[in-house]
Amino acid sequence: MALEKQRFDTLILGAGGAGLNAALQLANANLKVAVVSKVFPTRSHTVAAQGGVNAALANVLPDNWHWHMFDTVKGSDYLGDQDAIEYMCREAIPTVYELEHNGVPFSRLANGKIYQRAFGGQSQDFGGEQAARTCAAADRTGHAILHTLYQQNIRAKTHFYDEYFAVDLIKDDAGMILGALVLNIATGEPLLIESKTTLLATGGCGQVFRTTSNAHINTGDGMAMVLRADLPLMDMEFFQFHPTGIAGKGMLITEGVRGEGGYLINKDGDRFMEKYAPNAKDLASRDVVARSIVTEVRDGHGCGPEADHVMLKVNHLSEDVIAKRLPGIRESAKIFAGVDPVKDPIPVFPTAHYVMGGIPTDRFGRVMPTADDDGEHLPGLYAAGECACASVHGANRLGGNSLLDILVFGRLAGHNIIDYVKENKAHRPLNEASVEASMARLGRWDAKGDGMTVSQLRNEFRKTMEDHAGVFRVEDMMAEGVEKIKQVREKLNDVRLTDHTRTFNTNRTEALELENLIDVGLAIAVSALHRKESRGAHSRPDYPKRDDAEWMKHTLYWRESDKLDYKGVRVQPLTVESFPPKERVY
Amino acid sequence: MSRRASGLRAWFLQRATAIYLILFLLYLLQHLIFNPPDSFAAWQGWVAQPLVGLGLLLCFASLLLHAWVGFRDVLIDYVHPTAIRVSILTLFGFALIGCALWVMQTIFLATVA
Amino acid sequence: MKFSVYRYNPETDSEPYMQMFEIEQRQGMMLRDALLAIQEQDESFTFRHSCGEGVCGSDGVNVNGSNKLACIAPLTELKDPVEVRPFPGRPVIRDLVVDMSQFYAQYNQVDPWLQRKEPLPEQEILQTPEERDQLDGLYECIMCGCCSTACPSFWWNPDKFLGPQALLSACRFLADSRDQAGEERLDKLEGPYKLFRCHTIMSCVEACPKGLNPTKAIGHIKAIMLKEAI
Repeated sequence: MALEKQRFDTLILGAGGAGLNAALQLANANLKVAVVSKVFPTRSHTVAAQGGVNAALANVLPDNWHWHMFDTVKGSDYLGDQDAIEYMCREAIPTVYELEHNGVPFSRLANGKIYQRAFGGQSQDFGGEQAARTCAAADRTGHAILHTLYQQNIRAKTHFYDEYFAVDLIKDDAGMILGALVLNIATGEPLLIESKTTLLATGGCGQVFRTTSNAHINTGDGMAMVLRADLPLMDMEFFQFHPTGIAGKGMLITEGVRGEGGYLINKDGDRFMEKYAPNAKDLASRDVVARSIVTEVRDGHGCGPEADHVMLKVNHLSEDVIAKRLPGIRESAKIFAGVDPVKDPIPVFPTAHYVMGGIPTDRFGRVMPTADDDGEHLPGLYAAGECACASVHGANRLGGNSLLDILVFGRLAGHNIIDYVKENKAHRPLNEASVEASMARLGRWDAKGDGMTVSQLRNEFRKTMEDHAGVFRVEDMMAEGVEKIKQVREKLNDVRLTDHTRTFNTNRTEALELENLIDVGLAIAVSALHRKESRGAHSRPDYPKRDDAEWMKHTLYWRESDKLDYKGVRVQPLTVESFPPKERVY
Repeated sequence: MSRRASGLRAWFLQRATAIYLILFLLYLLQHLIFNPPDSFAAWQGWVAQPLVGLGLLLCFASLLLHAWVGFRDVLIDYVHPTAIRVSILTLFGFALIGCALWVMQTIFLATVA
Repeated sequence: MKFSVYRYNPETDSEPYMQMFEIEQRQGMMLRDALLAIQEQDESFTFRHSCGEGVCGSDGVNVNGSNKLACIAPLTELKDPVEVRPFPGRPVIRDLVVDMSQFYAQYNQVDPWLQRKEPLPEQEILQTPEERDQLDGLYECIMCGCCSTACPSFWWNPDKFLGPQALLSACRFLADSRDQAGEERLDKLEGPYKLFRCHTIMSCVEACPKGLNPTKAIGHIKAIMLKEAI
């Protein structure tokens, strides 16, 4: 049967906050836009974001975007690109107002303005008193934002391909992206979508780790597609472990809990963060808190029969505050930890949460294919959201900056695409060879016979990642990890599906996801092995210091022979003075 | 009110008639307990009082309207082919009108007697 | 623990059937974990799931006769053997996966987006905490479909009755002090079908995994309509 083809001005892969905010700009500008999502849009993982989105609105405490910028640069451990960070912090303010106008049900202050709460790593006046910068809709901010964006896209009549799985980018010999091959999950039929511009907004890859706050769908699909298109991923060694996942389960307990006054205690009931971050205490940056928890547990101060976690104490807050500001957390703690936070502390331990690295882009969301400091972008290909790396988070992301990142850069990519399509009206000729290569990759899973199952190899892979690329990383352990993951990659050839039917075959999509996970996992492990310093979330006990002379640079990883290269950090902001690297204390 | 008549009016009518029916039946019950009529003439005399006649008339009107809305709801829920549903509704409508005429005749006869 | 699971693949089965599986129950296990364990035994077994914490709304299924989200349904609260079926009243695509397109179409029908007529302010549209409180119990819906597919009125008239989920969403915008299309929203709900097929059966309230009350929301819409009419 002939392959079905469709043509659009723009193809957006992913329907989370970044994809939907981009789609909204494009649909409002009457472009022909297709949004492909492997789940119904409101199931995208943006829905799970709890705490909020940062913007210096100064509704609660004095604030301005320049302070926000300082905190973000410091939080990034000086690896973030300061032009992109300045842009994001300035754009945060109109972006949040636009969301509010679109209908997001933000919590409110007595004067009718948007409620803002304190979050980790936030300060007034360049490192002074705690700031309150995180705009929140109770503890369901991501849900409120994602649903609102979807609603506005219904109004704008965006064309959705729900439950279509993106397989590969289609590329011509000049390296230009022509669209993507996607798979209709319900029927199992492939579909070729040709587009003048393509935006990758496929989200994160937390499923590479065994214990994660990320959903089943966060398998790094867009990142792996980029790798297979001979493009690099940047700074993949920087993976954030959120300090407070429910112990042993991984479900997230928002930083907002500590923002509202909760704090961490060890088995002796000591508030141990006072020891590690005397000023900011429990609201120190996430990498700092996560390492402190792991250190406490390793030193034998853990709670529980296995002494393998710490406790998050909330019960000193009034039931009213918990009901009003943290209703979702109370529900989750009851269901998954069996405790009511109004009465008892919640058992928590760091959980794999967010990848700071991703597809390298400039501050317009355009993909940067080379390691040249002044390199050209690849025309027509964009990335935004967690799958992209602008890079605003550098080596460590601040809480409340991820919703901000997806919304600002999703919106901006949308605007840039509108300009691009005005000047590039024609589709480029299709490259059949690229389509055939992708179809062959799909066809590989039709092979029958005995072999490993997808879940066997997936379990082995995720355990390896957790053991060898976790919170603390030393040379031998990581080198062993890289070898093991390469073996896992070899074993992929031995994996066979038992189900070869077409209709809603999750066995097949999970196999495709496993291929993606392994490619992305290797990018993480190889990048991490070679960075011989400790910076942000990348913590090397064998190289405990940050080394700005040697390592203030971005890692680039290519899949082809696991090649690495490096490029400089953009330290020059747009309109203000650069923040030079300083020692990072909280 | 006409804009949303077929939904809201029907819904409101059902509830309003229900309230009237409850109140009137309570009145009827207390009347039958405390002043049970002992002859046909007594019955007739009671019904012939203008207020009682009006109340009864309203009671039957409510009952018929209530039945109409309820029956229509059941048909809308379960009988989907339009032709069949409209036919049954029409038959039922005529039956209800017949009942209404009969009630009016009875009360009128009692009043003039 | 024993599980009797609904199986149907249109390519290989002429009829749906129930299949038994046995799962070793671990502490703290949710129904989703059990379904994943079943999937490890039989890779061809298919169901939707994602976040695992009850916020994405993917894994609604019918368990021992009630609609639930599998990821937040503890096995300890389920009677053994557990019977797992797809949502009632929806066309089955495969195993536990049903076609929800009509459910989504009903949602689209209530124009589920904020509508303003006045020009937008430069900053946020102001809203008091009390006005914002009116949205609690309405905006939290995750569109899992547990309510609408448990509603007899929705089974009878899925093409015409909007169902509890869409009506809850309609109420969410009617209750928002920032929304300025109340009249039009009420007009769109006119007629005997869209709103008034609700007979207060309240299956939706029992089914909602987020503890929301669509019946109350529907009552609220009727009350607003009545007030407007008088």
